[in-house]
Amino acid sequence: MDNIAGTRARLTWAVNLTAICLVVLWTIPTFGLLVSSFRNADQIASSGWWDALFATQSVDYKRAEGADAQVREGDTYVIAGDLLQDGKLSSWGISSRAPAAYQPGEVVDVDEGQQLTVQEDGSYRITSSNRFEGRRGMRIFLTTSVPPDFTLENYDRVVTAEGLGRAFLNTMTVTIPATVIPILVAAFAAYALAWMQFPGRAILVACVVGLLVVPLQVSLIPLLKLHNAIGLGKGYMGIWLAHTAFGLPLAIYLLRNYMVGLPKEVIESARVDGATEFQIFRRIILPLSFPALASFAIFQFLWVWNDLLVATVFLGNSQDQLVMTGVLRELLGSRGGDWEILAASAFISISVPLIVFFAMQKYLVRGLLAGSVKGG
Amino acid sequence: MKKLLTLSCAVCALSGSVALSQDLVFEPGDDDRFDWDSYNALKSDEFAGQSIRVFGPWLGQDRVLVESVIDYFEAATGITVDYSGSDSFEQQVVIDAEAGSPPDIGVFPQPGLAAELARKGQLKPLAEGTEHWIVDNYAAGESWAQYGNYLGPDGETHQYGFPFKADVKSLVWYVPENFEDAGYEVPETMEDLKTLTEQIAEDGETPWCIGLGSGGATGWPATDWVEDMMLRNNSPEDYDAWVKNELPFDDPKVIAAIEDYGWFSRQDDFVSGGAQAIASIDFRDSPKGLFDFPPQCYLHKQASFIPSFFPDGVEIGTDVDFFYLPAYADKDLGQPVLGAGTIFAQLTDNPVNAAFFEFLESPIAHEVWMAQRGFLTPYTKANADVYGDPTLKKMGDILTSATTFRFDGSDLMPGSIGAGAFWTGMVDYASGKSARDVAQQIQQQWNTLK
Repeated sequence: MDNIAGTRARLTWAVNLTAICLVVLWTIPTFGLLVSSFRNADQIASSGWWDALFATQSVDYKRAEGADAQVREGDTYVIAGDLLQDGKLSSWGISSRAPAAYQPGEVVDVDEGQQLTVQEDGSYRITSSNRFEGRRGMRIFLTTSVPPDFTLENYDRVVTAEGLGRAFLNTMTVTIPATVIPILVAAFAAYALAWMQFPGRAILVACVVGLLVVPLQVSLIPLLKLHNAIGLGKGYMGIWLAHTAFGLPLAIYLLRNYMVGLPKEVIESARVDGATEFQIFRRIILPLSFPALASFAIFQFLWVWNDLLVATVFLGNSQDQLVMTGVLRELLGSRGGDWEILAASAFISISVPLIVFFAMQKYLVRGLLAGSVKGG
Repeated sequence: MKKLLTLSCAVCALSGSVALSQDLVFEPGDDDRFDWDSYNALKSDEFAGQSIRVFGPWLGQDRVLVESVIDYFEAATGITVDYSGSDSFEQQVVIDAEAGSPPDIGVFPQPGLAAELARKGQLKPLAEGTEHWIVDNYAAGESWAQYGNYLGPDGETHQYGFPFKADVKSLVWYVPENFEDAGYEVPETMEDLKTLTEQIAEDGETPWCIGLGSGGATGWPATDWVEDMMLRNNSPEDYDAWVKNELPFDDPKVIAAIEDYGWFSRQDDFVSGGAQAIASIDFRDSPKGLFDFPPQCYLHKQASFIPSFFPDGVEIGTDVDFFYLPAYADKDLGQPVLGAGTIFAQLTDNPVNAAFFEFLESPIAHEVWMAQRGFLTPYTKANADVYGDPTLKKMGDILTSATTFRFDGSDLMPGSIGAGAFWTGMVDYASGKSARDVAQQIQQQWNTLK
């Protein structure tokens, strides 16, 4: 019996450690994305974000000036210049196969009668006994040490993207009603399903639970068809209704399970005191259900905020109808793959949901339990 | 929140002022390389004040380009064109058409999808004579016309699609100066290309960079390889039969083409990262090996769009160049070119659409885009001198001098093959499955569609 307590203590310790490990594991990709959002496309392609924090050796080439720049010094023709604005090189070369063949200061025979030397600061000098020809300058490969380099360019591109302001307003216009309407409807429905006696109530609840498993993709075409048939077409009204419809099953289910758990005595005594159903709902149920309402509001807000599919189907794709996700996608171009933009836009678009989340977080923690424990 | 709103209003006002400046990119009448007569001939007030909706796959920079072309149509006719783009065009146009709110004109990147909509009666045939026009005015016109020619709901074929904007796929990219450093020559025949590949490998270097990764579409770059090899090993007629599955996928001719692609991609010495790695390398990252020093590879086969994924500051023609993926000298199949293109088709009976298609038939519609970036056309009346840079002109030459032009086969096959089994089959092939097994597996999938 003695070691039971000991086991428990050790177990708690292990649980904490596991939790910390999981949190770190979950945060690493986000951190990597954050680092990537401050790097440019070439840096992302050439090295991982974990390299970004240290200086790296980079091999690249610069072009010497062409024949136009040659100067005659006695019998020799000379092209001279500087390859590096600042910094130092550790080695150089003239062939792509051996880009680090020579040390700074070394003099190398390039061609017949041509000699090249590159100094540590990047200044070079090509001498030749014959006239230089050709417009294109020769490639000189340089190995340099590149210090960590971060840029705000990605954020700049996203924030100044054409139509982002308009899209922000569009997203707000879509999101706020699409969060409020389902909550209103679902609260009424949940109350009725939880506390009002009427035939077929159980079946109705079962139907709502059943609707939870219907993927919204299958209803896109029929729903749009319906909107076109009743003259709603594409527009804000249509997308509010669509989001409401897609959000309702979860909302009703969540709120109903929460409301069922409220103490029966309170409601019954209110009934005895002669309160109408609407008064009970408004005065008692609604204030008590606030945690569940808030948690669903966060879910719905996040979902609508991040949505692209429903918006493009029910709102359209033209410039003045685009939501934020649409504009960000457009920044990626027709073929996608612009990692740096993706990373930066992720952190920009995350900001508003974060504000909403932190504002309502204290309710969410309570609300997450909503419906899971009867009477809880 | 108030602060955010103020901020967004400021951004909004800013973007508004940008949108206002809608000038034509080239002043009409200014540059006589352009065919301004064809622009003037378009001027008409018949539909002035009306509007059409055009829906396509172009976003970002490409959207700016296509809108710069459409501006000329708007200026000449007074018709307003509302262009919108989406990267999920293929799904959305189906939803919109099914639900009864289609755009007036759709821009299809894949003829296969357009053919499907035509069969369901959701596309409307183009004006009489469009087919003749394409045959007469496009290089390899019969091939081009065929890509817009679909079976309608009445069981007869009509011209539904108008091809506009082409991509050349049969290109091999290389760094000329790396070739000079190593003493390699640009190959003129497929035999030479194979010798060069062997020679590079013997020198202890890696000849090819190949990457098949593309998210959900992983495998498609290999389908281009196989299609190119198909055209270099078999007659164009065989290719057409293959695309329609009259020549089964597991026919020895097809297997030979897959294995010919495998000659390049399945030998560890020939591919950067090793043969097994190609399926996990993203196609957008794969060309970057050309620009490493020492080079990770010397050759990269990809379509004309790939320069947008080259590192910043790389100049085409100087720092990197391309050559036509050559044909076998001893097979006498001419100079086949594999390409792709977008197809414009109408989804409504709106009479204004006809004016838009008339605009697409005018040289000026092609020239305005040619003079900018990323546009190739097989239209022989469009002046090749207006090409924005020599690279485009060189690609345009490949396109207009093709003896055989064939459209990307995977785009013509039914969706579950060309955008499904073929892709996954190529990933299986990269990971070591035999060409025969892969071909049989794709054919089985195709059989289930019949």
